[in-house]
Amino acid sequence: MMAVTWRASISYMLRHPWQLLLAMLGVGIGVAVIVAVDLANASSRKAFLLSMDAVTGEATHQVIGGPRGLDESIYADLRVEHGFRAIAPVVEGTVITGEVSLQLLGVDLFAESEIRTFTGQGGGDESGTESLFREFLTSPGSVTMSRRLAGELDIKKGDRFMLVADGREQQAVLLDTFVDQSGGLGKLLIADIATAQEWLGKAGLLSRIDVRIADGDDETLSALESALPDGARALTAAGRTRATAEMSKAFMTNLTAMSLLALLVGLFLIFNSISFSVLQRRNLIGVLRGLGMTRKQLFAIILAEAGLLGIVASVLGVALGILLGEQLLALVSRSINDLYFRLSVTNVSVDPASLIKGFVAGVGAALLAAAVPALEATSYQPRLALARSTLEQRTRRVLPYVTMGGILVMIAAIMLLAVSGRNLVAGLAAVFLLILGFSSCVPYAAGHASRWLAPFAHRIAGMPARLAIGGIASGLSRTGVAVVALAVALSATIGVSVMVDSFRGSVNQWLEQSLQADVYAGVQRGAMDADLVEALSRIEGVEATSTSRRSWIEQPGGRTQLIAVRMAPGSYAGTELLDAEPRDVWPAWEGRDAVLVSEPYAYYNGLAAGDTVTLPTDFGPQSFDVAATFQSYEVNASAVMMSRATYDRHYRDDGIDTLGLYLADGVRADDVVAKVKDLSAGRQQLRVDSNARIRELSLEIFDQTFVITNVLYWLAMGVAFIGILSAMLALQLERARELATLRALGMTPGQVGGMVALQSGGIGLLSGLAAVPLGIVMAYVLIKVINRRAFGWQIDMTVAPDILVVSVAFAVLTALLAGIYPAYRAAQSEPAAAMREE
Amino acid sequence: MMNVKETTEISVRGLGRQFREGERQHVVLDDVSLDVRRGETVALRGRSGSGKSTLLNLVGGIDTPDTGRVVVANVDITGLNETERTLFRRRHIGFVYQSFNLVPTLNVADNIRLVLELNDVAAAEAQARIDSLLDAVGLADRAESYPDVLSGGEQQRVAIARALSHQPAVLLADEPTGNLDDATAESVLDLLDKLVRKTGGTMLIATHSATVASTCDRVIELHNGKLDGRA
Repeated sequence: MMAVTWRASISYMLRHPWQLLLAMLGVGIGVAVIVAVDLANASSRKAFLLSMDAVTGEATHQVIGGPRGLDESIYADLRVEHGFRAIAPVVEGTVITGEVSLQLLGVDLFAESEIRTFTGQGGGDESGTESLFREFLTSPGSVTMSRRLAGELDIKKGDRFMLVADGREQQAVLLDTFVDQSGGLGKLLIADIATAQEWLGKAGLLSRIDVRIADGDDETLSALESALPDGARALTAAGRTRATAEMSKAFMTNLTAMSLLALLVGLFLIFNSISFSVLQRRNLIGVLRGLGMTRKQLFAIILAEAGLLGIVASVLGVALGILLGEQLLALVSRSINDLYFRLSVTNVSVDPASLIKGFVAGVGAALLAAAVPALEATSYQPRLALARSTLEQRTRRVLPYVTMGGILVMIAAIMLLAVSGRNLVAGLAAVFLLILGFSSCVPYAAGHASRWLAPFAHRIAGMPARLAIGGIASGLSRTGVAVVALAVALSATIGVSVMVDSFRGSVNQWLEQSLQADVYAGVQRGAMDADLVEALSRIEGVEATSTSRRSWIEQPGGRTQLIAVRMAPGSYAGTELLDAEPRDVWPAWEGRDAVLVSEPYAYYNGLAAGDTVTLPTDFGPQSFDVAATFQSYEVNASAVMMSRATYDRHYRDDGIDTLGLYLADGVRADDVVAKVKDLSAGRQQLRVDSNARIRELSLEIFDQTFVITNVLYWLAMGVAFIGILSAMLALQLERARELATLRALGMTPGQVGGMVALQSGGIGLLSGLAAVPLGIVMAYVLIKVINRRAFGWQIDMTVAPDILVVSVAFAVLTALLAGIYPAYRAAQSEPAAAMREE
Repeated sequence: MMNVKETTEISVRGLGRQFREGERQHVVLDDVSLDVRRGETVALRGRSGSGKSTLLNLVGGIDTPDTGRVVVANVDITGLNETERTLFRRRHIGFVYQSFNLVPTLNVADNIRLVLELNDVAAAEAQARIDSLLDAVGLADRAESYPDVLSGGEQQRVAIARALSHQPAVLLADEPTGNLDDATAESVLDLLDKLVRKTGGTMLIATHSATVASTCDRVIELHNGKLDGRA
């Protein structure tokens, strides 16, 4: 490009700092949201993998058993009878100290060197390690942890501290600390295996045996597999890690989709800003064309400008994204902790790939957004480039085609939904196509609506109102983009709100139905003391009890929750059966090897009533009849439910983790809760609550889960707000002469300002009205397609009218707020200056 | 003999206006004084930049002077605040500009109706005036047309109808034929002259055209912001 034109470009940008700032904000915020979500997701995943890797160590395989674990004699057999050396026994569980939940890893230090290294890092030399070994074995309650964790908990070497394991208080002593080089051991407590067994109530049992087998050594693997008794299986360590990580994949995919939505809205803003800067220089473009500048040269200037702006804004956006990522990470890791697995992540790990992705998206979006107005401007005949009305005429001419294109894109989206089976990414792609297609139809509809509404506005508030509303149609090249930006942001708000609201309604209904007992008592992980269960069942006023036991069964394809339930008489109605008659299901379920499968489990595994499912049991793989599919909105809802009698036949585990108490008429739940607390005091710490309280807590957790969704759509709304602000400023600048004429004809500054504000409000109203149908369609797709594909849930869709009314009102309010400054500027403009003949 | 105060529609005394251009002040009007009688048409002649438009803006109250006074229809508009000046202008002043300045989003009838509504003229009365004025300017059949489909001459005729619709005391015209070809300019000028004289209005017209000036009762020359000779 010629140096002079470069200078002209840069000079133009610097002379319009507000416009430059708005365009940069559009690109910057879009990039920041992408980078932030990507960093938060990647950091969470990386922290999880680091922690899994650190705990897994060199193990390539893990021998696991049923819900109860493995008998420790299996380890002895493998080592002594079968000569396996690279194996290490592990007892794993959760303990709580203060408010902090930690992973307890019980290890045999003598076997550890084959698998893990961190256990000896603290002592430094060999003699230090030996003395550590000795103390581990001789001092009861000895533990080690990372230096960072000790610092966080304010525990020093030699300190004694209390922790709760399996509901019981235990005293621990910090023997030593180690340096957590990998950063993956932030929430890990290491103890001798005997200590862990005692604390977790797993005397004589192991959680797993870690095994190291050289790559490709199939012989050793076969020897190991054949050496294992029924009920014990060897799975690859990497596969287990992957299966756990998979649990949060859908959650993260949804987050990424939200960040792309923010970029999409940002794209409209960038388009608006760049096209405005082109539009404002139509005179200059006309002159340059007249002077002999070719279309290619002009196109290059405009794209180079946008590229420069995109680069600067993207760099700033990336920096902002890193800051925002730290905030977002706290929310993401909290959600993952609540929903999936324990995650210790405090710092964003800045992955260059995430930064590059955000940067490329920002610059690409800026170039894409500039390409359309650049093509537009360079296609003018030199003399036509001088006329603003040319652009509006072209816009009016092109819009029907754009609308037709939009309709075709929507049809393509519907077809994609129909043919993409269970593919989540294809589902999300279809959502974006729907948004894109619908957005393309919005300006055409907004133009017609504005022309239709203008006479009404006139009747109500006179000519200025007509000018304001009619002006939306006559300046559609500018207002159309603002309407689309706000409508897209708002439709996402409506879609997500309706989805969350429907989801909440379904969950609430499900909780009401499934929480049949009046009071529930239980331990989070581990088993309830059998005597205590007996004592609680005998509390005065308790008419009946139910019990449940939840455990994980692992298969190469993933993890499944196994729920063993002993129902109270008459409480079967608490389980909603989706595909079979209760009178056929319950006798079969109680009587023979039949199970219920949760809706998500059925969805992912393609199962229905009448099919069979094979599960690993303590006596080898066993086939079960699927009696029915049941509704479940539990977080880990991929579950199989069997009667306690069936469970007892197939698993050597007599544990109970939750006891339901059914009370006689007139007995107050709170009184029984108090009695449970009295009876359990000093024996085992139980979580005990009335069903009303559990419902309340469950809904609180539900609401917390969607905090991050709220944050993201507020960001999208922020971008839309800036979009309207810039569109209104652009319009006001372009119409300076028209506004000055109105002032000269006798409109007061207040009337002119009011007119600009009303026009902004009109944009808000039209955006709100356009957002309602798109929002409802989005909600439908989110509920029936995305949630189904991501989590396997079926949710009843309910559209609360107040969500729609509030959204439209919010759109108008947002637009009015965005219109304040342009209105003020319009009111302050001096007619004499604007009227001066050119 | 008539009282001078009663017959003077525009009285300008010691009017001065400067604009800042970078570091220096540019004097546009310097101690300008003039009187225009009610019903009189006066041409303001001068080269580009001589201060004609600025003087019109000051008389119309869309700009304020640095020094001096402007009295229009017995109201000292230099003593009014912004809103008062706007309301005064709305009621008593009509503007016609070189580049027409019609509101592009309103059709011909609504461009005129806009001013009538601002002046709270009842709807029926407003419609009657619109019909009558469009008839007078020869555009009765274009009431529903939008400005962008009208020729320059037609647009200026709409602007004239709009400027006279609320029967202002003073009509200010800034190069009203500047964007028109000779034949169209002549017909527009005839129309302007005829309508203003018919309503007994006062007109101050800025022009550098001798033809335009020749249709006026009096011609005043502006030269570098000062009046040449007696005004």
